[in-house]
Amino acid sequence: MYLKGDFQDRSSAIRALRELQADGFHAADIDVFSDEPLELPRGVLDRPSRMSFTVVTGAVTLCLLTIGFVYFTQYNYQLRTGGMPIFSFWATGVIFYELTMLGGILTTLACFLWESGLFRRKRRIPVPVVVPGIISIRIHCTENQLEEASRCLDRAGANQVGTIGEPR
Amino acid sequence: MAAAPEIVPYSQVRHDLWRPLAGVSRRYVAVVSLLLAITLWGLFCWGYQLREGIGVAGIRRPVFWGFYIVNFVFWIGISHAGTLISAILRLTEAQWRKPVTRAAEAITVFALMIGGMFPIIHLGRAWIFYWLIPYPNSRLLWPNFRSPLLWDLTAISTYLTGSTIYLFLPLIPDVAQLAQHATGWRRRLYRTLSLGWTGSDREWHALERAMKLMAAMILAVAVSVHTVVAWDFSMAIAPMWHSTIFGPYFVVGAIFSGIAALLIVMSIVRKAMHFEAYLTPHHFDNLAKLLLLMSLLWLYFSFAENLTVWYGNEPKEMNVFGVRTRGTFSIYFWTMVFCNFVVPFVLLGIKRLRSIRTATIASVAVLIGMWLERYIIVVPTLAVTRLSSVSGGYSPTWVEISITTATFAAMGLLYLLFSKLFPIVSVWEFEPHPAEED
Amino acid sequence: MAIDLDRCTGCQACVAACHAENNLPVSDPESAAKGRAFHWIRVDRYYEGEFPEIRVKYMPVLCQQCDEAPCEPVCPVYATYKNEEGLNVQVYNRCVGTRYCANNCPYSVRFFNWFDPKWPAPLDLQHNPDVSIRMTGVMEKCTFCIQRIQRVERSAKEEDRPVADGEIQPACVQSCPAEAMVFGDLNDRESKVSRLAESGRATRLLEDLGTRPKVFYLQKAE
Repeated sequence: MYLKGDFQDRSSAIRALRELQADGFHAADIDVFSDEPLELPRGVLDRPSRMSFTVVTGAVTLCLLTIGFVYFTQYNYQLRTGGMPIFSFWATGVIFYELTMLGGILTTLACFLWESGLFRRKRRIPVPVVVPGIISIRIHCTENQLEEASRCLDRAGANQVGTIGEPR
Repeated sequence: MAAAPEIVPYSQVRHDLWRPLAGVSRRYVAVVSLLLAITLWGLFCWGYQLREGIGVAGIRRPVFWGFYIVNFVFWIGISHAGTLISAILRLTEAQWRKPVTRAAEAITVFALMIGGMFPIIHLGRAWIFYWLIPYPNSRLLWPNFRSPLLWDLTAISTYLTGSTIYLFLPLIPDVAQLAQHATGWRRRLYRTLSLGWTGSDREWHALERAMKLMAAMILAVAVSVHTVVAWDFSMAIAPMWHSTIFGPYFVVGAIFSGIAALLIVMSIVRKAMHFEAYLTPHHFDNLAKLLLLMSLLWLYFSFAENLTVWYGNEPKEMNVFGVRTRGTFSIYFWTMVFCNFVVPFVLLGIKRLRSIRTATIASVAVLIGMWLERYIIVVPTLAVTRLSSVSGGYSPTWVEISITTATFAAMGLLYLLFSKLFPIVSVWEFEPHPAEED
Repeated sequence: MAIDLDRCTGCQACVAACHAENNLPVSDPESAAKGRAFHWIRVDRYYEGEFPEIRVKYMPVLCQQCDEAPCEPVCPVYATYKNEEGLNVQVYNRCVGTRYCANNCPYSVRFFNWFDPKWPAPLDLQHNPDVSIRMTGVMEKCTFCIQRIQRVERSAKEEDRPVADGEIQPACVQSCPAEAMVFGDLNDRESKVSRLAESGRATRLLEDLGTRPKVFYLQKAE
């Protein structure tokens, strides 16, 4: 079951988020919808992210794969050019650098798709329609929690609270 | 700084920025058809060149590289408009960047597409360009990763991938909003592109994080791309190519011409789409100052490059230096100095003269100057070889000139189509809070 | 290879022989003026002194077959590389035509096929069957007449004997009326070309670039 509350301004939305979490609602069950990025103070609905770490890992991985690939190809068919050794690290360093960056870029895209939830979206979950200037809070809760949650939203100053069930 | 703009309601912002997307005016159709015709003519010329042989171009022994390589370097330089500028401004959190970034990033992607075509157009056997790509093949042979051209290939494909993603990510919230309001095929297009964006805080968080990382990486890639383009030349042992300064020199030149291209595009967009309220004199003033700074940096690099050659007085280098500054190519050289330094310095350095109009004029001059700079770098070195018995001039044929012209038309065409499909100023990033204007 | 500049008369017989041997396209005056002529070997002229006290020095220049050839590493598709015998070979079928190698050649001895080659009749009837004809868009250069090298090596192998010194003669060497050019194995210290290379009269062209060319120019030490 999903409950939705609409807020006119940022401060009341933050108040609602604080109250909800104080009442034991888990951050994973709460979503905030807005038509422009909403800056929330630290401690309110933190979304821990491993993006930087994953991106570095992805970059290093592709770099190592590239070094291995270039090493393999150059020994696979050994041709000498210009007095250089078969595997010339310095003369191929640019390629390693670029592929490192490509690894980072592609991992960033993948991380974005994953962390934003765009990639693993479940069709059944209802999404409130985003009205410009309105901040909507959606809570995933059981029927027993429903009343408590809507009280939280009301107290914080939501001008419209209700369950949503129909997918958009 | 310019007067703080008054607060415009968000709905008004969206209405204004979406307005150019709707409807097609007669003038738009006329311009698009004209540009399309020029582009098609360029494609026809390329077909002719493929059929007859690369000899229909004016290149010859010993000037084996000509207009195509000049254009390649030029367009890759233009591509630094977007990514570098928007990434630098994003990382330094300069708030005035917001209406500028999308326009700049689009330049990057299109200029890269065009620039990336030129090495292929330039090939003697363009139909087998894919032999540079490492894939298991019947020749049982891999490409030579030691070649600067392979560096180029990886650098440019990385940059194109990166800058396309970099353009696309901040576009998602905008197309998601557009999808709610559009109808017909546009709705389907926007909905597909929006990837099902709902505007949840997870999505915003992920987007912001991804954009920070992308900005950092794209900056590193952009610097390396033009360095690698420069290394195409400086890895060769030809006089006045074999120079350690070329990497940074080219990067500076690229940012220089990139800002100039951005200024031109912005002033056209401002006029044609009536974005006077969004692209304010404040933005132009800031970019004009950046352009002036890059002009001075360019002068510094050029001076350092030429002074060391002249003072070193090495005969082979002096031969090239001679034809550049005093001989056949001197007219181009001094025009370049005039366009790249004198014009921007006078028009933008004197505060009273600095305006949107003069910034645009200076930008056009800079683009001409930077094109000539690449010409000055590519051709004279080849025309004057190490052995005095071999030398030769270079003059382009109609094929090269047509293809060059067509790329400018193609740039305009791509840009016009893009601006008809997507808001050229990022809507969601445009928060009209005057307090944030620096 | 060793070329005795004191013997060279600048007669251009080597140039003509090279054309015939290696199926070089024949250029008309217009395309030659456009810089599209092919001469795998050319005779450079250097003038000394003031008119009328003028002396001309001739210098046949062909691919120097550098040990550390600048043209090789820049090729993205290995169309030019060093073979086991130390020759700098050009593989026409592999070339995509970036022309980077020609830009990086300090001796300007690389030639590009701007169009498909054409020969005025009856020259189209005298092609050398041992040498392939190059299509449009590929680079070419002197091969040290690799077809002749291979022919001699093959017959020596069949007869089970080593290749004799002086047995291999590229077309330019064979045709030189002044016998200014000598071809042989530089690895064999007893060969004539090795002895000439160490004779003290030998210099190499643009040696200071570190390309280690394999063509030695012999001239009187000044």
